[in-house]
Formats: sequence, C-alpha cells, structure tokens
Amino acid sequence: MKEIKDTMIAKIKAAFPEAVNKAYDGNRLDFTVHKDAIPGFLSHMKEQLGFRHLSHIAYVDWIEENEFEIVYILWSPEEKVKLFIHTRIDRENPVMENIDMIWRQANTYQREMKEMLGIEFPDMVAPDEFILEDWDDIPPFRRDFDTLEYVNRTFWHRPGREDAQDVRETITKRSGEEIPDFAKKYSR
Amino acid sequence: MREKATTIYLGPQHPGITGNMMVRLKVMGDTIVSAQTEVGYLHRAFEKLQERRNWLNSFTLMCRFCVPETDPMENLYARAVESLDNIEVPERAKYIRVMVLELARIATQLMWYAGQNGSLGLYTMGQWSIGDRDYILDLFEQLTGGRVYHMYQWPGGVRRDLPKGFKDKVLNTLDYLEKRLKDYDDLMFANSIFQKRTQGVGYVPKESIIEHGVVGPVLRGAGIRSDIRIDEPYEVYDKLDFEIPTQEGSDIWARALVRRAEVRQSIRIIRQVLDQMPKGEFNTKIPNPMKWRVRAGDTYVRAESGRGEVGYYAVSDGSIHPRRMHLRGAAYVHAITLLENILPGQNVADVSAIMNSLGTCAPEIER
Repeated sequence: MKEIKDTMIAKIKAAFPEAVNKAYDGNRLDFTVHKDAIPGFLSHMKEQLGFRHLSHIAYVDWIEENEFEIVYILWSPEEKVKLFIHTRIDRENPVMENIDMIWRQANTYQREMKEMLGIEFPDMVAPDEFILEDWDDIPPFRRDFDTLEYVNRTFWHRPGREDAQDVRETITKRSGEEIPDFAKKYSR
Repeated sequence: MREKATTIYLGPQHPGITGNMMVRLKVMGDTIVSAQTEVGYLHRAFEKLQERRNWLNSFTLMCRFCVPETDPMENLYARAVESLDNIEVPERAKYIRVMVLELARIATQLMWYAGQNGSLGLYTMGQWSIGDRDYILDLFEQLTGGRVYHMYQWPGGVRRDLPKGFKDKVLNTLDYLEKRLKDYDDLMFANSIFQKRTQGVGYVPKESIIEHGVVGPVLRGAGIRSDIRIDEPYEVYDKLDFEIPTQEGSDIWARALVRRAEVRQSIRIIRQVLDQMPKGEFNTKIPNPMKWRVRAGDTYVRAESGRGEVGYYAVSDGSIHPRRMHLRGAAYVHAITLLENILPGQNVADVSAIMNSLGTCAPEIER
C-alpha cells in the first residue's frame, strides 16, 4: 500500500505542485487544494488517476477561523485508496466552484451546502429549496445558528409541559375536570 | 390532437419506501416525461443537535438515521470515534458486531421483500417476510433490549456480551429462515406477475453508475462486483469466507436476485462468525463519557449496508462535543439524481417499485 500511495503522491505533486500533502497511515491519501483549483484537481483524479467514485462531500464550519471547509472524499476501486481533498472558503463571501459536471451526484451535496451553510455555487442548476421550506433565518448549519434560541422563539410549549409535570394533572388542576378512569393509569 | 403533459405528485406517503418523500412527475398519458424529487418532510437536524451533545449522547441519535437499517449507522459511529481516539476493540466484540450487522442485513432484506412486493400490489409476501423478520427482532431484543433501535455497538466494542444460549437461538433462527427462502422463491420469483413487472423495469444504464455514485445491490445488479466488506474490509470481514453476488440486467429483477442471494450469504457469514468467535472481553473501557475529549482530527469510515455504501465523516476539535458528524447514505445519491435520471420513459405505475429497488430511505437523505 505504501508504494502505491507514494507513486500516487508523486503523480499528484507533478500535476499540482501547489497541492499540500499530509501523511496518514493505511489507505488514506490527504491533500489540501486551493478552492479555485478544485474542479481541475477532481477531474484529473477521476480521469487520470482512477479515483472514479465520489464517496462523499463533507462540510465543516470553522467559525473561529472565519472559514468553511469542504472535504471531497474519492475512492479508487482498483488501488483501494481513499483520497481526502480539503479546501477552505471565506465565510463572509462563501462562493465555491460547481463540480456537478464531473459527478452528477455532487449536485445534491451542493444543494445541501447552499441551504445549510449559505455557500453559493454560481454555475449550478438546481431548484431553490432542498430540505428546508420557506427558511428565512441564517443558514442553520452555521455554528452561530443557535438551535435552542430558534426553537424558543419559533415554537410554543404545550400547556402543562413548561415545568415537565404530567400534562393531564396540570390540565385537570386548571380546568377542574376529572381524569377519565382509563387515563389514570398513565398518570404519574 | 396533441396530448399535454400533466403533473402528478407522488407522495409524500406511498408504498415502496420508508419515510415520506414526494416525486413530482410530469406524465404524458401514463409515461413519465420528467421527475423531480422533493424531500423535507422528515428533517430532524440530528447532525446539528450533535453540536450540543457529548460523544456518548450523540451515539443515541446515530441509529435513527434510517429506521429499517439502524445497525450499520451505529457501527460507523463507533468505528469513527475509535479511529479518531485510537481505541482498540477486542476481537470478540468485532465478531459480535459482524453477527449483528449480518442479522440486520437479513432483516433489511426481509423488509425489502415486503416493500418490493407491496409496491406491486403483491401483499402476501410482505406478511410472510415481515413476520419472519420479527424472529430476528426477537434476537435483537434479547441481545440489546431493543427491537429496532439497539444502541449496542458503541465506541470500544459492544454494550454487553451474548446471553446464555444465544448462539443456539441464532442458529435455529437461521435454519428456519433458510427453509423459508424456498417458499419466498415460489411466491415471489416464480410469480409471473412479479417477473413481468420487474424485468426490464427501472433500468440503470452502466454509464450512469459513476456519475451518480451508484452503490450496493444496484451496483452489483449492474454486473459490478463491489462491496465495502471486500474492498475495504472492516471488523473481521477479511477473515470470513463469502461471495459477492452479481447480476447483469441492471433492472429491478436483477437487483432482486442480488438481494435474494445476499440473504444466503449473510446466513453463511453468521454461521462462520458463531463458529470462530473467540472468548474474551467484549468491550474496551472508555473514559468518563461526561468528560471524554476525543483526540482532534478527522476521519471517514464506510460500511456496506443492505442498501449499499454508508459512511461517516467525523471531525473532533478535541472537545467533549463532536465538531462534525456527516452521514453519507445510499439513498442520498440513489433517490435524487439517479432516480430523476432513470424515471423518464417509465410507466407511472412502476415508480414505487423502482424507488424501493433503489433502496430509497427518505430519513437518511434529510438527517
């Protein structure tokens, strides 16, 4: 495996000298590439080096560094090598190159990133909404989106649930109505 | 007179898939012209919720990504954390995990038998196979305490050892299921209605396979011998003897034959596992979960579920909360771009059957 990986690293470095390699054990290859070079890099990996299978596209919000990270994970079925390609984009102006012409399935991942992080893919053709409907808050997968605050602001608590007490008993106290016999066994 | 296209909304509730998902179809007569997948009915923000949970709290969410197939997700989470924190798993735990994963694969395929036939209006098969699936759920209940959600394969190994007499109970269940497969063949594969409704239907062109990231039985139904258990072995799959069935048709029928053969292979694997399982520890002690800081880094682990490749990209920043856990499910690619690509030209009555044969699981898409 080490020989296969060394050969691949040499080929990748020859084609993309600016790509930064990080060493890992096992069958993992790891490169960091500038965002503008991503389409060319991925296309080369697919067509020239046998990384035909796009296994995953992951994203991470590094709010402390004011950046989003996108990780493309490719698989070479012949060499059994897993290639991680990291790239970072500015969090304030998140625009990324579209790659759905290389793998059509990337369109779905990009729709998710657009909705969950607010990353724009200028050349991508896709419906506006993916998972969320009529969303008008900040993209919810950003670290500064506070789930608890959003829930408290948006939804109301069912009567009897504010203090985690038994709902039936609370309603009974308020309304004066008796709990029916069949429901009593469920009350605490 | 020129016929106009009509828009039909199929779903979000319909036979053939787990969960709620809609497909917007444009049809001319009963032939599909275009299709667009609409999801968003099940978004539970599991991955977002993990930002507030510690490494063990998060684990309880993991199995809930796809209801019919919970164990591969647990396994991935456990392996991702073990990979990040360099935790050694005892050999016995690895064997137990494979047994659980293969029992889960059989249960998934039994549920698929039901869904695939139900989507074609053949309901008897579903009643049989769901009834037989319950025998596997009985095993899970005895082993883990839960029938559907098990929370059993946690980081470091498994939560408890096999109960007394469990091995015999598993072997008896396998013997029973093996006999039942003959009945399934008679009722399903020898049924001319099933043959006519599936042969040549839901064809996935070979040139689409790479474009759409096709995996699992859909890939093997197109004649490609690929399986994570062989390609990138995990747990103890490299010590076991089993085959990867393939078919050439690339239609619903071919995928059905692949799944049928996989049930037999899973039975074969479990018998070997029970035979070879060593004695010893079943868990490596993990740190206090409330204070557990997993080593900073990232990893991507994959497993072969009954519907194909599932994977987790996991990131730790060294704190007590996961920084990021991102799921890749088989349905995520199959049920959107691939489905939209293969539906045009198909008959509207076949959509549910096609969706089922692709392993569509809507909750896995939305997470």
